[in-house]
Amino acid sequence: MTAPVVSSPALEEVLTRARELIGRWRDEDCGTPTVKDFCRYAAALNDGGYIRRARALEADGRPVEAPALFLAATMSWEDGPPEDELRPDGLARRESPCTEGLPVRQVHGGQSVRLVRPPVAGTRITAARAVVSARHKRGRSGEFVLLGVRTRFLSPDGNELAAVDETIVVLDATGGDR
Amino acid sequence: MTASAVGAECPPRRYAHTSVQLFRFSAVSWNAHRIHYDAAYAATEGFPDAVVQSTLHGEMLSRYALEWAGPGARLESVAWRNVATAVAGERLTWAATVSSVEGARFRLDARILKADGSECVTGTVEVTRAG
Repeated sequence: MTAPVVSSPALEEVLTRARELIGRWRDEDCGTPTVKDFCRYAAALNDGGYIRRARALEADGRPVEAPALFLAATMSWEDGPPEDELRPDGLARRESPCTEGLPVRQVHGGQSVRLVRPPVAGTRITAARAVVSARHKRGRSGEFVLLGVRTRFLSPDGNELAAVDETIVVLDATGGDR
Repeated sequence: MTASAVGAECPPRRYAHTSVQLFRFSAVSWNAHRIHYDAAYAATEGFPDAVVQSTLHGEMLSRYALEWAGPGARLESVAWRNVATAVAGERLTWAATVSSVEGARFRLDARILKADGSECVTGTVEVTRAG
């Protein structure tokens, strides 16, 4: 069985870059999230109950666990970049693996999140991330590339807190093959 | 007591995300992708308004599952696939069916539906009820 031919040069380049990156893990320091970080996240979800509980626990000197998907939902832990270093669609380079400078657009295909242990405020967290798959597909709306990205969140003792598998759909933005 | 045998349908939940919520969720999750808060830009990519974030869909799948499971319930895992785009102000419905039960651990086949009943997001959520 032969792989389908890639019509789009941009998608061909995405595939080439992605295949070179597969399995190359990079660590990212997520810093030390605070109760305020957790509460602001909860506020964006209109979850006033979480905020009240978290602040009460903090006042009692007890550990405060993050909202369940806090780590998985946070797209980047970097300080930047400044606006003039963003792509035209607003994404930063790290958030668009394999697509920098190419005429493509991308959307999230889906995610799988496995929770092991909730992070606690005041604990340093590291994210280990790698591209794990790159596949060319052809659907009703044209061809696209499916990138698989895996992130493992770890506590300082090396134990896993959560693991996230994301699928990113990359499409040719020139509309050449839709 | 909520029916929780395999095959039981969870009571549906109806909601919509405001453009303010989409902006705040992008900000708090450090997500600068313009399709989520810049309606004019989103239009250039063919979307009728600011697009609901994938992870916000994951949150809704999980949060309503946890509410269904009751106080003290714990989220074990959630997985979802984005079938269609949803935008700010769009009326959405969370629906779920119990697909497996092992002691206090429940697996739900969950979905987010658009106003016409078509699927926007499909997925599974695993929760453990408090003892």
